[in-house]
Amino acid sequence: MTSDIDHYRTEVRAFISNNAHPMAAEGVRAPKDAAEEATIRVWLRSLYTAGYLGAGWPEEWGGQPDHPAVFDLVLMEELILGDAYRPLDQVMLAAHTLIAFGTDTQKAEFLPKIRNADHIWCQLFSEPDAGSDLASLRTRADPEGDGFIVNGQKTWSTDAQWADMATLLARTDPAVDRHAGITAFAIPMDLPGIDVRPIREMTGHEEFCEVFLDEVRVGPEHILGEVNSGWKVVTSGLASERAFVGANAIQLERLFDDLVALARSARLLDGTTVASHEDVQLKLATARARVEEVKLIVHDTVQRILIDEEHASDGPVAKLAYSETNVYLCELALEIISSSVSVDATGTAVADRWRHNFLWSRALTISGGSSEILRGLIGRQLLGLPRA
Amino acid sequence: MLGTIDAGTQPAADLAWRAGWQAAAALGVTGFCVPESRGGFGLHVPAAAATAQEFGRALHGGPFAGMTASAHALGSADAPEAAEALAGLLSGTTVVVFGSCGADGVARLVDGAGHADALVISDRTAERLVLFLDSSSWQPEEHLAFDVSRAAADLTIDMARGIDLGPAGLARDIYELLLAADTVGGIERMLERTVDYARERQAFGRPIGGFQAVQHRLADHAVHARGMALIVNEAARLLAAGDDDATRMVAVAQLSVAQGATHLLHDLVQLTGGIGFTWEHGLHLFERRAHQNARLVGNPRAAASRLAQLEGWADDV
Repeated sequence: MTSDIDHYRTEVRAFISNNAHPMAAEGVRAPKDAAEEATIRVWLRSLYTAGYLGAGWPEEWGGQPDHPAVFDLVLMEELILGDAYRPLDQVMLAAHTLIAFGTDTQKAEFLPKIRNADHIWCQLFSEPDAGSDLASLRTRADPEGDGFIVNGQKTWSTDAQWADMATLLARTDPAVDRHAGITAFAIPMDLPGIDVRPIREMTGHEEFCEVFLDEVRVGPEHILGEVNSGWKVVTSGLASERAFVGANAIQLERLFDDLVALARSARLLDGTTVASHEDVQLKLATARARVEEVKLIVHDTVQRILIDEEHASDGPVAKLAYSETNVYLCELALEIISSSVSVDATGTAVADRWRHNFLWSRALTISGGSSEILRGLIGRQLLGLPRA
Repeated sequence: MLGTIDAGTQPAADLAWRAGWQAAAALGVTGFCVPESRGGFGLHVPAAAATAQEFGRALHGGPFAGMTASAHALGSADAPEAAEALAGLLSGTTVVVFGSCGADGVARLVDGAGHADALVISDRTAERLVLFLDSSSWQPEEHLAFDVSRAAADLTIDMARGIDLGPAGLARDIYELLLAADTVGGIERMLERTVDYARERQAFGRPIGGFQAVQHRLADHAVHARGMALIVNEAARLLAAGDDDATRMVAVAQLSVAQGATHLLHDLVQLTGGIGFTWEHGLHLFERRAHQNARLVGNPRAAASRLAQLEGWADDV
């Protein structure tokens, strides 16, 4: 198996270095213009065509028999190491949701278009008043004929400004338990009444969007799964490509190496490097210890995922450890930059990247389960504490 | 001298541990890091670390880390006296403790030195290990230690009377790692206990573990404790495998545990409230022991500068 993995890694690495569209900066993935959008789609398509993405799908939809889950991890690690534009998780989640809950017609229509990168998907889940507490969402889908009329406002929708399709969650039965009255829909983003407005984030980029749904008419063919079972549909989709979590270890290792490089090149007024000072070495050592802890936590989690013995709290433990340590490293980098008179020969490029990473690090502790939500999950599922 | 703040209230360290020690030795616990040809199990550092964790959980009074490191040193040496000392250590009849000294011949903070039959000393100046069999070759000065579960002493040693055991080898890494493992055992036990307490203790009509201010901190501690335990295991695995990265990982483990443990345990006291502040509840016993373990291995700063050196952070670019 080790030699299979090594072989796969070599192959993937070569593929990436020959074909990849580069990653602009952490978390920046919305195309700048039509030309970039076209090259991103070519790159994503090539990952499916080469069999690196979509390999775990059922064979009838282009998957490969006996695709080892560890290959997904290798792919993600190599994409990070190669600074490549990474696959869009919203699209992969949509694919898994379609495979698990889609009708034959939906699968036949949408899965090939995902493979071909003709369809980018976004998620219309969060709302201004329903973020971490997603089940309190208020966007309504009221029955009309054999379909529904949707009204409401969504927010934090990554890629909505260029997505072709969306997974939408809307309330179809306000009278029942709040989890029970939600339905999932797979809808085209060009339906009349959908208005997308990108939000400028504190990084200066526009990655997230507000999406307004005004009298949007959806048909029975857009329902994903069954009416009022939308909560089950989206929460099961969240469990796909679980081994990707392992790539966080590589990400953090890389960030730490960059941090050491920064400390060794940044100079103080007296000409000494920041790293030559004992107090900084102690901080770097503390950071190193935290990075090693997280790497091992993540590896431990991946081992359990690969043998299907994952505990419900493993994902939250790994994400909390990773994203909080990421913040810690970025804070340390900024501290080093603040106390330096020169950072390196490139002028400001290195400092700018760290400043971006610092700001972006908060996206990781807020989205996809905020640290506070994760601590609650860990408290209940790992420690057996009562619900807060 | 540090560590006298509770000089008036100290219970005796658990010196009764020796009564049961031959039974423990019969299980082979002192031979995990001794070659099979010398009567041990080879280099089972993970088994030694797991045992150290259990002794830490139990606040065991014996110098297990030092005895295991000494056994490794004796099992790796050719001197005939080493074989005899090793036989006593493996059977549990002899206590051979481990320490380290500089050019002044003073070994500071030698765990268990008060009831030692022999010493293995890492001579940092010569980078050699030296065996002392005759207790008249060292003068102990007992510490009134902050840690009340074990006793340590400073030893002034007549270095000329030592028997050379050869180069330093892995003994020091094993010693440092097992002390970190000891602390991890204590953390795990106290975390379990505090979580149980938070599940049961009622305030304002509900278990305090249902309050986020309590629950979220326990979650953070659980994640951190898992990280520390995994690092200790990883360092043990690397040492056993003879991996080049083992020494670096021991330094990481030491730093991770030395920095993390006292903060974590001290917060468990806070989360346990008034009852946690009592002598009787005993959380403080683990805090004291964790603090002492960090001192025995040379403190977090020493580990940090060792890491800086091993990873080349301060080298001129």
